[in-house]
Amino acid sequence: MQSLSASSIEGVLLDLSAVMMLLCAFACLGSKLFDRYVAYYALQSVVLSFAAAVVAIHLGSGALWALAALTLAVKGIAIPLATRRFLLHRLDLRRDVALSTGLSTSLILGAFLTVFAYLAIRPGTLPHALVASAVVPLSTAVILLGGLCMVVRRHTIAQLIGWLILENGVFLGAITLVATFPFIVEAGIFLDLVAAVLIMITFVSGLAQRLATAAAPDLRELRE
Amino acid sequence: MIALVIALVVLPLVGAAAHLLGVRTHAAGLLSAAGGAGALGCALALAVLTTRNGPYRALSGFIYVDPLSAFFAITVAIVATLAGLGSIGYVQTEQERGELSPVQVKLYVVFFALFAALMLASLEAGNLGLLWVLVEASTLASAVLVALEARSSSFEAAWKYIIISSFGVTIALVGTLFLFYASSALALDATQRLSWAELFAHAHALQHDSLKLGFLLAVVGYGTKVGLAPMHTWLPDAHSEAPSPASAMLSGALLNTGMYAIIRFQAIAGVDLGRYTHRVLLVFGFTSIAIGALFMVRSTNFKRLFAYSSIEHMGIIAVALGFGGTLGYYGALLHTLNHAIGKCVLFLCSGEIVLRYRTRVATRVRGLLGSAPLLGVVLLLGSFAIVGSPPFGLFLSEFTIVRAGFASSGPAFAFLLLALLVLAFIAFMRTTADMTVGGSGSDAPAETPSMRVTSAFPLLAGLAMLLVLGVWIPGGLNDLIMHSIGAIT
Repeated sequence: MQSLSASSIEGVLLDLSAVMMLLCAFACLGSKLFDRYVAYYALQSVVLSFAAAVVAIHLGSGALWALAALTLAVKGIAIPLATRRFLLHRLDLRRDVALSTGLSTSLILGAFLTVFAYLAIRPGTLPHALVASAVVPLSTAVILLGGLCMVVRRHTIAQLIGWLILENGVFLGAITLVATFPFIVEAGIFLDLVAAVLIMITFVSGLAQRLATAAAPDLRELRE
Repeated sequence: MIALVIALVVLPLVGAAAHLLGVRTHAAGLLSAAGGAGALGCALALAVLTTRNGPYRALSGFIYVDPLSAFFAITVAIVATLAGLGSIGYVQTEQERGELSPVQVKLYVVFFALFAALMLASLEAGNLGLLWVLVEASTLASAVLVALEARSSSFEAAWKYIIISSFGVTIALVGTLFLFYASSALALDATQRLSWAELFAHAHALQHDSLKLGFLLAVVGYGTKVGLAPMHTWLPDAHSEAPSPASAMLSGALLNTGMYAIIRFQAIAGVDLGRYTHRVLLVFGFTSIAIGALFMVRSTNFKRLFAYSSIEHMGIIAVALGFGGTLGYYGALLHTLNHAIGKCVLFLCSGEIVLRYRTRVATRVRGLLGSAPLLGVVLLLGSFAIVGSPPFGLFLSEFTIVRAGFASSGPAFAFLLLALLVLAFIAFMRTTADMTVGGSGSDAPAETPSMRVTSAFPLLAGLAMLLVLGVWIPGGLNDLIMHSIGAIT
């Protein structure tokens, strides 16, 4: 498996995609409208599928092409559409008010996490990485930002989007660090993702019907 | 051999398929339990064959069955059979009372079967990526069961469960990724680099840093499913809100499946990292025991009490793995089996109590020995068994683990473990003893339905197994455990 150097055209495109994905994660963290969360997630997924296509060209790998197509169809189109249709429109959700920190605080926390990701995973520590560039720390930062989104946002939908962003970060790391798992495993991961999103959508609407709100801070029945 | 491997996964689905094709709930339930028993038969056969002929591999390592898989499959199949039997009465009573609609019953039957089948399948997966996929899928199937009763509190518990577990399992995926990456210098193809057997065979040649990172992430990730503190927060909610037979499955089977994944990772990482993996598991284990025991002190909901006790027991198993050595692993595996059976009995018993008293608050259940003697006896004996008093199996396995502690880590850890066990004993018995023999003054149950045979049998069968395991370990089981240890060291 030959390395992609940071100066080749593919390397630059990959770096660029990773930065775009990080920006999408930040945009999501800095927004208060449910519509935007979903839009940024969709954009991030489209960029991810582009990144997968770049690596697919570089390696000439059919499995990666399939992965790129799957990413575009499932994460870029199907999941955002389903979330919008079944949750945002049906429950008439617009503004997220269940924030546990202010927007600026969460952005600053996000910046710290990004710096941390760079310090913790320097490209030099990864001798066999497929890409000799900044993609691995960037994907770590996306993972951390997704986690942050789940922590500081307390609405169930924001937590769902946070988890999906985290998942995107894992995929970005996967395609750059190791190209790909065996395709059957990737397909299984996708299947799980779709099932998980469907079940989560059901839960969120079930909660919303019973509580007239699906914000996690209102979920306190089970607190001792 | 391949027929056994397939049958192990397909048999638990038979009842659900029949139900979807129109067989009535009761018959489908019996069929499900029979399927579970059939799966148990397959698991036992696999255990015999793998201890005799060595591990079985197929489909370029995607299927890999060794004595360790067979051992865990036996555990899961026992729990699935007992809980399947217990489900029949539980679901029927709830349906007669109008608590569950026919659609909900259908969902229960289907997802219960899927849950069991997916767990058994994950135990046969030799590919760590496939293992991840199946473990996540079993989480999703069980989340539906947690939400089944469709109260706002059950949706809340299910949401917490699915979001925290998915988060955790995603971390385990990153761990798998790093393990995959650690093998990139080896001359293996992509499928082999995720195959457990190949990785274990080449464990000494894996790249050190990413192996360490992969192991840590896997322990945190799968540990979320096991309920190791501090990733345990979903566990008490999910266990208390799920229908009781499903709680039995969660506690007796799902947690063990997560532990199985950790054992697989520890086996690979232990070759190179040695004591480091033991220390990691000791830290998580002791934290879990302490958290479990402390929260047991203040639990008023008896299903939550059992759930915290599960956290404590998973901690004990992690500590046993942390002590290591043949004695430690032996104790860990024996304890896995004992705890699965014991907790299954207790949760099934709690289901019957909930049906009678319609409450999960322990202080409102009093004098159970008088009002429902069978349940009272089972709850009392089950409690004694689960806190580790002789002559039940858990005494033997906990004793083994303490011995392993003295042998490997010195007396400090062993005494700490003993102290925590005593605390857990007091906290647990305080509540359940009052429930069984405490004075009246509680709301006597409005109606006392006579107990169904299908509900009473798993309780008594489970207790009998625990009693047998406390005084006698069958030679076959001993062989199986020793071969399992051989497979991972």
